[in-house]
Amino acid sequence: MVAQPTAADIRSQRRQGLFGNTLEARKRRFGLFFALPAFLFFGMFYVYPLFQTFYVSLFSWSLIDEPSFLGTVNYIRLFADKEFLNAIWVSFLYAFGVVIPIWGIALGLALIFNRSFRGRQAYLTVYYIPAVISLTVWSLIWLLLYNPSFGLFSVVMRGLGIGGLRMLDDPSTAMLALILLSIWKGTPVYMLIFLAGLRAIPSDYYEAAEIDGARSWQSLLLITLPLLRPVFLYVMVISLIEAFKVFTPMYLLTSGGPGSATRVLSMFIFQNGFQYLKMGYASAASVIFLLILLLLALFQFRLLRFQQVD
Amino acid sequence: MSKNRIFRTLTSLLGQMGLLAGALLISAPSLYMLSASFMNSNEIFSTRLQLLPEALNWSNYLEVFARFNFWLYLNNSLWVTGAVVLLNLIFTPMVGYSLAKFNYPGKNVLLLFILATVMVPFTAILIPLFLIVRNLGWINTYPGLVMPFAMSAFGVFLMRQFMLSVPDDYIDAGRIDGASEGRIYFQIVLPLIQPALITLAIVVFVANWDEFLWMLVVTTGDALRTLPVGLAKFREQYQTRFELMMAGSVVAAAPVVLLFLALQRRFLQGIAGLSGLK
Repeated sequence: MVAQPTAADIRSQRRQGLFGNTLEARKRRFGLFFALPAFLFFGMFYVYPLFQTFYVSLFSWSLIDEPSFLGTVNYIRLFADKEFLNAIWVSFLYAFGVVIPIWGIALGLALIFNRSFRGRQAYLTVYYIPAVISLTVWSLIWLLLYNPSFGLFSVVMRGLGIGGLRMLDDPSTAMLALILLSIWKGTPVYMLIFLAGLRAIPSDYYEAAEIDGARSWQSLLLITLPLLRPVFLYVMVISLIEAFKVFTPMYLLTSGGPGSATRVLSMFIFQNGFQYLKMGYASAASVIFLLILLLLALFQFRLLRFQQVD
Repeated sequence: MSKNRIFRTLTSLLGQMGLLAGALLISAPSLYMLSASFMNSNEIFSTRLQLLPEALNWSNYLEVFARFNFWLYLNNSLWVTGAVVLLNLIFTPMVGYSLAKFNYPGKNVLLLFILATVMVPFTAILIPLFLIVRNLGWINTYPGLVMPFAMSAFGVFLMRQFMLSVPDDYIDAGRIDGASEGRIYFQIVLPLIQPALITLAIVVFVANWDEFLWMLVVTTGDALRTLPVGLAKFREQYQTRFELMMAGSVVAAAPVVLLFLALQRRFLQGIAGLSGLK
């Protein structure tokens, strides 16, 4: 591996900087040159938009007229807007409603696929298929499945004695319907990530445990799960962000309704920005959205650090 | 002894049955889409349980292609996704190489920033991104559809990860032989990580084939619509023609599903590899 640079090395490197004709300076210039596309791209499509979101949020602007400065008025309005507070609540409801079952099911499936059995690869392929079907297509399939009179889901439920289901039209079940299709679609990817994590655990550990007479559930509890912790945290962070980003199923199946039962933050921002043309208001909502995710991420990193210490 | 064997056969049989039931349940929506795409409208509207069409009814596919702009959508999807994959293949290995093997001012900031962008939900920057693209005059143009995805944070991390595994000795040997840094990159480094490039291409293709929200916002007419947006517009116009909607869905889903079935192992490795990128 690379030796740690000494303090003297670092000093001399600093002195050399980017200029001059030494090998180090040339390497540095080349490295910077190769990173230029990233500086440009992320600067233009991420950094600048982030600042711009905040800037636009201080104005009232419909794209057509001239923007007029409002200061913090958009934010004050947002927090008085029942629709917005509802959107935050609905986003949390959806996100946790989706990710918690996914964590459990994905981990369970990964544990099954970590064993060897006949047809393992074929099963893995079939179990993964929902993940490779485009979310737009997946949503349209469920639109058909949930149809109250002839959708397969409703027909099967009727056969089971639960008749009269109007999954997408009833405010009390619409969110459940969206959560169900998202769990179905989202589980395979996390199953695969857990599986990769399980495979990375050296088999020596299990062999040693077996020699010591550990039962399989003891191995699972005392070896597998603790060692899987970093993977679990990765899955937690990524799956939550993914869940908060959700837009397509709401757009295609419910448009945020019935009422506002499924109007998540993405939907709220999209509708205010591109349907009502309230660019400033939607930008202010975007800023709050970002802050919420930032807080969630910080909380999760806190969890991560806490767990590394003990 | 033999009791034990019976017990073991029984559990394995039960396990297989469980796996099979799970497989059926998991693939039920996808299979039903395929089946419904061949049904006639009577069959689809049947309120009784009808899992399969009486006969394979290809006319749905013919109608979808004849009446709606599916060739156009398919064509647009292929061009847009193809361009995104190509740009990612050009730029992300460069940046990954730079981040893995070089030191320069601003590098740690860049690395940290790319890491942070993973946390930024697309909707949160949707409006300013739209405004930038609008100022550039890119609304409803190919660059407008493609450029915001020309690079991806996960692509850069994937590449950085693979570049870290390229031995420094190879690179230094090139330098000793007097090769320029550019030549070292193209003739030594890139060939070494070729398998990773294929993984990158697959991951980027799959991620972008599905892009919906941006394509919805940035296209103003049918001419540049990709398959997902085309399907959504189709849904708005023909609410009740589920059999056509399903035929269109099959067409839209097919490229990624076929890619997956053809390249299963590499595909699954690529997705799993993403988790090693912290």
